[in-house]
Amino acid sequence: MTTDILKKKTARYLRGQSVPAERKQIQNWLSCTGDRKMSVSTEERTIIENLIVAEVKAYIDYTKLEPEPAPWWKKITAFF
Amino acid sequence: MMSRNFTPEQDLIDKFLLGDAIAFEELSRRYSYPLYSYCITKLNSREDARRIVRTIFISLWEKRDTMPLDFSLSIYLYSEVRRSVVQCLNSKLNTNSDIPAIEEEILPSFSAARLQKARLPVKYSVQIKSVGLSFEPGKGKYEELRWSKYSPVIKLKELKHTLQDMLHLS
Repeated sequence: MTTDILKKKTARYLRGQSVPAERKQIQNWLSCTGDRKMSVSTEERTIIENLIVAEVKAYIDYTKLEPEPAPWWKKITAFF
Repeated sequence: MMSRNFTPEQDLIDKFLLGDAIAFEELSRRYSYPLYSYCITKLNSREDARRIVRTIFISLWEKRDTMPLDFSLSIYLYSEVRRSVVQCLNSKLNTNSDIPAIEEEILPSFSAARLQKARLPVKYSVQIKSVGLSFEPGKGKYEELRWSKYSPVIKLKELKHTLQDMLHLS
């Protein structure tokens, strides 16, 4: 396979227009996780976790979002 | 920053759906590394992996008011990370960035031989958890252990014997 073919296949997959064989190929690729296993220490893992959580926290302005309760109609919409 | 705690996941999800930022932080801490690790195995890029995980959690937080009450976090994250990985790969191919790396590392993983592994049955490693281990007799030694979250019955005696047999064999 070439990069051009892969580009077309992934584009069709994202648009939901891929044929079953292509879809299966991409889904199989997504399901194969045994090729490269990451081996990191607990400390490294904690650092990565902290980094990601800090980035998420930095983006989300908790002080702005937390005091504002969800409107009643949103809760009712979510219920259904 | 909140330290890791042992609050059941469903409690955290319920609190998160009500807009609890602390519960959301704990959930993102629990799931961030598995998602990051998965993205790296697929894309082999730390920057992309971090960006994908960050985007998934940010969008999850933004959608918290519209999530259904029976919302499953693991299914949501599973489908989102898979879609994001394909999207990232596609945008890299569209912008012609990292093409040599894609040709060298990602394209070979689309070969039929490599994809064959996805069709093989999953070999579960023996895990001891509080619930969910069930025992299915009548099959081979190593196939007897089945991971099933639906089984409410934990036959501890049978499980113990199976584990002992496996340890003796190995």
